[in-house]
Amino acid sequence: MAASAAIDGQLQASAPVPRVWPSAIERVREALGTQTSAIGLIFLIAITWTAFGIAGSGFLGSYNLYSIGQLAARDAVLGMAQAMLIVVARMNLAVGSIGAVCTSLLGYLLVSAGVPVWLAFLLVAVVGVLAAVLMGVAELMTGLSSFIVTLAFLSAYAGGALLFTGGRQYQISSSIVTRLGNGTLFSSAICPLVAIAIVCGVACWLLYSRNSLGWKMLAVGANERAARASGVNVSRVVLAAYALSGLLCAVATVMNASYELNVNAGFGSDWLLPSFIAAVLGGVALTGGEISVTGILLAALFFDSLQSGLTIINVPSYWIELPEGLVLLVAVLLDRARRARRRTMQPRSATSTPEPDAVVAQ
Amino acid sequence: MNRVLRTQWAPLLAATIVAGIVLSLATKQFGSSFNVYTILQTAAVYTVIGLSQMMVLAVADMSLAVGGIASLVTIATGNLYQVQHWPIGAAIAGSLALGLACGLVNGAIIATTKLSGFIVTLATGTAFTGIAYGITSSIPYSNIASVLTNLGQGRAAFFSYLLLPAIAMTLAVGAGFRWLPIGRSLLAVGGNKDAAVLSGLSEKRAIVTAHAVSGVLAAVAAVLYIGVLQSATPATGSDWLIISFAVPIIGGTALVGGEAPASGCFVAAIVLSAINDALIVLNVNTEAVQMAEGLLIFAAVIAGKLGQSVRGGTRRSVGRPSTGPGRLGQIAQDAATPGLGMP
Repeated sequence: MAASAAIDGQLQASAPVPRVWPSAIERVREALGTQTSAIGLIFLIAITWTAFGIAGSGFLGSYNLYSIGQLAARDAVLGMAQAMLIVVARMNLAVGSIGAVCTSLLGYLLVSAGVPVWLAFLLVAVVGVLAAVLMGVAELMTGLSSFIVTLAFLSAYAGGALLFTGGRQYQISSSIVTRLGNGTLFSSAICPLVAIAIVCGVACWLLYSRNSLGWKMLAVGANERAARASGVNVSRVVLAAYALSGLLCAVATVMNASYELNVNAGFGSDWLLPSFIAAVLGGVALTGGEISVTGILLAALFFDSLQSGLTIINVPSYWIELPEGLVLLVAVLLDRARRARRRTMQPRSATSTPEPDAVVAQ
Repeated sequence: MNRVLRTQWAPLLAATIVAGIVLSLATKQFGSSFNVYTILQTAAVYTVIGLSQMMVLAVADMSLAVGGIASLVTIATGNLYQVQHWPIGAAIAGSLALGLACGLVNGAIIATTKLSGFIVTLATGTAFTGIAYGITSSIPYSNIASVLTNLGQGRAAFFSYLLLPAIAMTLAVGAGFRWLPIGRSLLAVGGNKDAAVLSGLSEKRAIVTAHAVSGVLAAVAAVLYIGVLQSATPATGSDWLIISFAVPIIGGTALVGGEAPASGCFVAAIVLSAINDALIVLNVNTEAVQMAEGLLIFAAVIAGKLGQSVRGGTRRSVGRPSTGPGRLGQIAQDAATPGLGMP
């Protein structure tokens, strides 16, 4: 599922590497390094589950697995929302604020306005897309960095959402929404939200491996100037990336609201960190041009397993924030080390970022 | 005088003064000496927060850990004074050293790994806040030294005593960038990294120094804020992210590095604080204040860009592709401005 793996394969095939028989350890390392972080993450999840399964009672019980799935599904979609823009070498600091806007709107439509559920979902999706596209337009028109544009909108949207609701709470009682976030699928350990996350993941994978828009996004992220020179309409691709990011924020909002049910405009204020953890830990290169959808799904699962496990072994809630920061730090450092090693192993990729052609040729 | 008029913040300051005069004629409340004192008290803390971010922006990096360092330093001060019974002077010194250490950690990681400051400080900032919450079990320290309370709450008519440290920090940072060799080398590295390295400056040293000083300034802001809040809580700093960027950017600090107008931070802090206060006096929702801050950052950055092209100082085209997290260094290289600290 990793587009980057394909690039590596290409480069490896074409680069004349002097033949030295690697030791077994080297081979394992190489596999871990080139298969992005997916294998490493599966390994980490296995360790986490084993350790907490032994140490904490009830970790592997269906109730706990259900709630891990609930949270991990939302975080995976948030990670994808962030990855959409990281792929084109940008970032979205406003994921949470778009979430706040969408949450407020969803609450208002379902509770105060009494709109049918499907229409509410549709409107929330439209607003999520528009909110993100507005940032994209602002970025393209001003030529400012996405960091500063989305930072400004982070503040504006969060304030706007609070202003709109006036601090009101919305108690969602729609049975469809309730069943979505609190029902079960196949087994009592699986929340329907997991299916939504996987559907989003498959859609993303199709986008980046089977669709020309996805390839153009990778090309723009890897080398914007080269992409422009080869005829890619960069502005349109960037706007599409913003739109997709907004859409996924809206999906994450609906997922979040469907299990919280009692919602307000404060929702989303703590989404920034999970969105980056899922993306970066999942192996999305911060410099753009690479994505691993499997990595994002696994990273979200690992992160929420860790959080849940720490709660199960009675780590007090006020110590929970520290591991969040440490996980991100370790993820970033590992990613850095992996890339540095890959560069030394493959002399050709040291000098240039992957060519857009290499991606498209896939 | 001409130089003052040409700065980016001059029109904003002028507009604020005019609006302030109108408001104080229209409402009794706004112009009262107590209200002006409140504005200045907040502005003093904002100034130091902004200076902390400006240090890092000067080398074309950024820190999302300003709030995290502040949170950790706040509870360190409270803990050393209330639990360990250190004299307040020693507690403050210890806290500032802790701020320095946090900054050094950030700087060292960024300089050795060459990762973007954004992602590293997002992680360390969360970790610092996490430690602060963990140590205190989320319970604030309420026993605050009288020195800090007097400083935070003290005033002579409208003059908040907090302005003294804030002005001192502004002058110190301004002087450091202007006259100290290390200050000028920070601007050189921020303005054009390659040129700076080729002329024999150390990029690593510049980045580590910038983050270390930024850590100390974040610690100073935290200590000052304890006096304002009269409580040492780990929640301090949780809402400093926007402010830390708004103050230097509105004050005219370029995001591409190579510029560090300390006086701009001071003016921008007063402007922001006054706007917040005015909206509250006018009974506008506090939520609208938050919206206003975001839009103001945006307006300031665009004004800065327009101002630059009007003055013809740089040739940066407006339609230039912006770059993502890992690319700030590259923007710095591309920047047409020679960043050798021309005032």
